Amino acid sequence: MKCVIGGAHLRVFGRAIHAIARISDEFWFDPVEKGLALRSVNSSRSAYACVFFSSMFFQHYCWAAVSQPCQEEKQFSLPCKLIIKSVLPVFRCVNVLERNVEKCSIYTNVNDHHITFQLLCKHGVVKTYNLMFQDCDPLQAVFAKHLCPNILKVHSRLLAEIMIHFPTSQEEVTLSVTPMKVCFKSYTEEDTDFSKTMLTEIQLNPEEFDYFQVGVDSEVTFCLKELRGLLAFSEATSVPVSIHFDVSGKPIAFSIEDIVLEANFILATLSDVEKERASQQAPESSKMRTGKSDKTSVDRENSGAVASKKPQWNSNTAPAKPASPLAKQEIKDIPRAVKREVTGTEGTAVTEAEERAALGEAAGAQYQKFHSLFFGAVSCQKDAPSHSFHSLATASDTEEDFGNVQSSPVL
Amino acid sequence: MRFRAKIVDLACLNHFSRVINTIAKLAKTCTLRLTVSKLYFILSDKVANGGVTMWCELCQGNFFDEFQMEGVAAEHNEIYLELVPDNLSRALKTAQSAKAVKIKLTNKHCPCLRVAVELPSLSSSSRIVTHDIPVGIIPRKLWNDFREPSVPDFDVSIYLPVLKTMKSIVERMKNLSNSIVIEANLSGEMNLKIETDLVSVTTHFKDLGNPAWASEDGYQSSAQDRDLESMAEARIDIKKLQQLLAGQQVNPTKALCNIVSKRIVHFILLHEDVSLQYYIPALA
Repeated sequence: MKCVIGGAHLRVFGRAIHAIARISDEFWFDPVEKGLALRSVNSSRSAYACVFFSSMFFQHYCWAAVSQPCQEEKQFSLPCKLIIKSVLPVFRCVNVLERNVEKCSIYTNVNDHHITFQLLCKHGVVKTYNLMFQDCDPLQAVFAKHLCPNILKVHSRLLAEIMIHFPTSQEEVTLSVTPMKVCFKSYTEEDTDFSKTMLTEIQLNPEEFDYFQVGVDSEVTFCLKELRGLLAFSEATSVPVSIHFDVSGKPIAFSIEDIVLEANFILATLSDVEKERASQQAPESSKMRTGKSDKTSVDRENSGAVASKKPQWNSNTAPAKPASPLAKQEIKDIPRAVKREVTGTEGTAVTEAEERAALGEAAGAQYQKFHSLFFGAVSCQKDAPSHSFHSLATASDTEEDFGNVQSSPVL
Repeated sequence: MRFRAKIVDLACLNHFSRVINTIAKLAKTCTLRLTVSKLYFILSDKVANGGVTMWCELCQGNFFDEFQMEGVAAEHNEIYLELVPDNLSRALKTAQSAKAVKIKLTNKHCPCLRVAVELPSLSSSSRIVTHDIPVGIIPRKLWNDFREPSVPDFDVSIYLPVLKTMKSIVERMKNLSNSIVIEANLSGEMNLKIETDLVSVTTHFKDLGNPAWASEDGYQSSAQDRDLESMAEARIDIKKLQQLLAGQQVNPTKALCNIVSKRIVHFILLHEDVSLQYYIPALA
């Protein structure tokens, strides 16, 4: 894979890296035929980011790998996992970057597992960064944006103006909507010490949004810290932000989309305990899983998923936020290799037994939890959809519907 | 007990924000005293403060367009609240372009000062940002702890040099020593000294001028008979001095200090609508 990013787009690319850095320490560099996807998942699987740059974003984009007679996959994608800390210095000081760098070229060398970032700067200066990567099958969140009853579309400026009122230390924020009003407020639990905490609330008129659709009154709580990366990124692109969400417990997606790029940040939201109990009685086809978050069960789940082709993920995922008052969930990777030609959803059959065991334990949990996102492996679909670029949120109609082939709608 | 106030004028709002920012830099927690005509931010000399006392007084009429206060009782028409000024500072920070700011004392989950900022928006109705700042109500029996400190019987009173200059000097001295000696005389001379095992640094200021204090009843204060050249000095914690100087966001109209030799240094910073007094005790 080789691509070249021209000066003006460097800022956007750099900001995308910074935004993804807020999610996790590692990310996947996933070139496909149509373009380049950068994906990241946080350690507790409660936040997923994917930024896709179509080939038109680049001055030059060449994806075809050297044809190799070995495994089929290699011919079509060379996803690799990189440590954010290694890549960030390349794109540090994004504003300065734009002024000094004429272009950036990125190419991968599959044989010795190197990826090279080369910045061609002014005055003939060339900065080359060689980074090691690990071959890794990326995860992809399966989330049907178009099924969300609530959709808000707003200019990134407005979203930033709203979030600025919350202190930078504010972790969780609750978004509450009715057809008449929209309200963002600091998240409070039952046992919040009100005498010590300052609470902030912002009320907005639906008229302020470019698009406002509220199908169901809802109150969703999500992690603000993870979102801030997207806010900075969207300001660089000046593309409006779409917010898709449902009731509490279902994920909330922040996306920006234009001709050359598409970014999706999908965050888990807090669910109520009652809802969780109800979903556990639901048949095993339920896509939203919960599980106990304490370390012992994490280890058990990790060992259960050893069969997966992605051992690196499991070993890296110790719960990273012990200080958070909310318990975050750990879910297993869906083994990709089981049946390559089918979609990711069918992979659930394999790990169901283990997941049901985890659910059983969660029944005893008293505290509120984040519903974790359902992840499927990136499916190796060769059938190119008719639209010009790769949409990442794959559709899944109902929870019971396993047999459907996944299609990729564009919103 | 009721309190409601409103600021509509942007200049007043910015001025008020600056005062709050200054207070926030000087005290983590302080007492807000509300009377019919004034607001006071008070820090009394508890050991936790390092013995410093702060007394800041504002005339409400200079800031608020509306101000209604009903105290705990008719004959004690005042309210004393304990709050974290940084919270108030944060709430006002993003109100730079506000149409109006309302402050109200409420008691939803616990006593709070509710700051409601009305911001302009693209739609017909404004955006409203509400901040609930938790406060503690100070019972009347403790009000005596927060009386205005009296001006001490000082040895020397002198105008301070330009605060910006003084601030940069003290900041650099802070790196070398934990304590600083302020000495001054009635001839308008002031020295800032630090002394460690390795180095001693002194900065001399002159022609500062000494304010004339009208004595109340003709009583000759100790300052009157003093030799004009003789220095009164006090060694104080340099961090406290640096905090005071760093917190000043606007140049005061008048800035002076009163030194009681080896006991206490009393700083007075006067602006048009605000007066700030800060007492730093001398180190043993």
